[in-house]
Amino acid sequence: MKDNGIIEITFHGRGGQTAITASQLLAQLAYEESFKDAIAIPIIGAERRGAPIQAFTKLSRNKIIKTYDSVTNPNYMLIFDPTLLDIPRILETIKSGVTLLINTKHPIDTCEFPENIKIFIVDATGICINLGFMHSSGPILNIPMLGAFGQITKFYNLDTLKKVIYSEFGEERGKKNLEVAIEAYNSVKEVELI
Amino acid sequence: MVEAQQDIIQKKETKIIKGNIAAAYAAKSARVQVISAYPITPQTTVVEKLSEFADKGEMPGTQYLKMESEHSVMASIIGASTAGTRTFTATSGQGLFYMYEMVHWAAGARLPIVTTISSRGPAPPWNIWADFTDVISCRDTGWMISFASGHQEIYDDILMSYKICEDHDILLPKFVAYGGFTLSHTSKPVIIEEQEDVDEFLPPLPDEKGWPHIFLDPERPMMHGNLIMPSGFYNEFRLKIHFTHTLAKQKIKDVSTEFEKKFGRSYGNGLVEEYKMEDAEIAVLNYGELAMQMEDAVDDLRNEGYKVGCVKLRYFRPFPTEEIRQIAKKVKVLGVADRATAFGSPTGGPVSSEVLAALYGSGTSTIILPIVMGLGGREVGLEQQKNQLKVLNHLNETGEFPKDMIEGTFWDGLLEVD
Repeated sequence: MKDNGIIEITFHGRGGQTAITASQLLAQLAYEESFKDAIAIPIIGAERRGAPIQAFTKLSRNKIIKTYDSVTNPNYMLIFDPTLLDIPRILETIKSGVTLLINTKHPIDTCEFPENIKIFIVDATGICINLGFMHSSGPILNIPMLGAFGQITKFYNLDTLKKVIYSEFGEERGKKNLEVAIEAYNSVKEVELI
Repeated sequence: MVEAQQDIIQKKETKIIKGNIAAAYAAKSARVQVISAYPITPQTTVVEKLSEFADKGEMPGTQYLKMESEHSVMASIIGASTAGTRTFTATSGQGLFYMYEMVHWAAGARLPIVTTISSRGPAPPWNIWADFTDVISCRDTGWMISFASGHQEIYDDILMSYKICEDHDILLPKFVAYGGFTLSHTSKPVIIEEQEDVDEFLPPLPDEKGWPHIFLDPERPMMHGNLIMPSGFYNEFRLKIHFTHTLAKQKIKDVSTEFEKKFGRSYGNGLVEEYKMEDAEIAVLNYGELAMQMEDAVDDLRNEGYKVGCVKLRYFRPFPTEEIRQIAKKVKVLGVADRATAFGSPTGGPVSSEVLAALYGSGTSTIILPIVMGLGGREVGLEQQKNQLKVLNHLNETGEFPKDMIEGTFWDGLLEVD
């Protein structure tokens, strides 16, 4: 948390991986779960499928959020695609004190990371493929990533996830969403850093 | 405990939505009868959401017109409003420019049309991000122009706009502008008011007789927009529009007070909103989302011991001349920050030029620092705004202007160019 009490989260994904929607859903989840204010900020340009995209969410338990600027020193980073960690601009954002949630099924090479960070991994892509949670250009990663994020932060519980998912997608489509979220919620694990 | 309960009650009516969606909900809450639409980034999701409402039957009694251009959008809105209906559309940047001929017509015909602008930088180079030069280019059309600085304010200001515009003493169109992407595409909690409360707040929808001055009624034939000879009342019509802008200032204040009474949300005196100005020696005036963000910059600098405040300009037309004079008198140094350009004007920034004009003859010795920044969506972060306050403080203490002034204006945040 920052001095001003605001929790800042960055989302790094590729066009089509639904990271921008994730930033909005996180604002909804937190607001539903007793946070006082939330803002979701997408960085919009001429996106293409596969190009790196960014979004931010700021959350506050007691203060009205008045800033609209980018997050440069996040508390949490959600990495939807591990290959994004090869991009210097993104790597530079990883500073001491940050918590990373990475979608990957492979071990992470942590040697370039600073000290005093936490890393969690979840195989969100694998979960989507196994459960058939796909859209035209690939797995829908936002829901499993948010499921895992709920587990590691406790900002919201599974009941809140269910409520927001059902209100957003309806009960019929919501069921599959929830199944995916729970799978990720239960399978996210922390990487032990040497 | 009571407070906690109120929080819960409030949350029930709150949606986390983008600024554009808040605009669409406001049009729905206002029971607009005719929507005319043509897509343009970053406005598009306003009319998309409204088409979804219309398609689902959530806006019974609303005609949704899909036009082939923005010019036709405003032309059709003029027709619909002339027939005596509550109307709405939204546009941005190049779309507004294409609409421009009809924009003048709407004001000249004294039609109470409300239009939202998700502001974007004029091309070329092609730009879709926040810059208020688009709406400010309508300065002299006769439309009223306000800026929303937050998501809730977009919703609220649209509701207030219908009450102001449709008042029979006013009958002028109005733009509600907010930053493209900075507000249009970011999501925040917005309270959507109960329909019956909005119905009580707004004037009744116009009946078949239409507006008092203009109507389409075979029983009462009337000629519209015909040629007026130079010896006719042209000058007097124009003066009346100007006079109505002056009159509208009081109406805006009254409606703002009524809104606060009804819904509990306050926007200063309606025309301007002051923040921590009671003992401020230094202040900066902004409009749109950066006016909101500046409040955090002020808080931070106050924690460091600076006597700073800030002002949110809510209305550009009518221009709150008297309020600006009073504000300038309170402080020693006033920065006026434009996220827009006025090429070749005295300062390069449209609002700072207006502030200087407003202060002429008021006897103030306050130093004014015009600032231009954030054009075409270039990010203006909290740190940059805090630095602006420090620049103003330095000016106050030493009389020294920033080194890189360009013809009397501080262009903040420029890239290094040879």
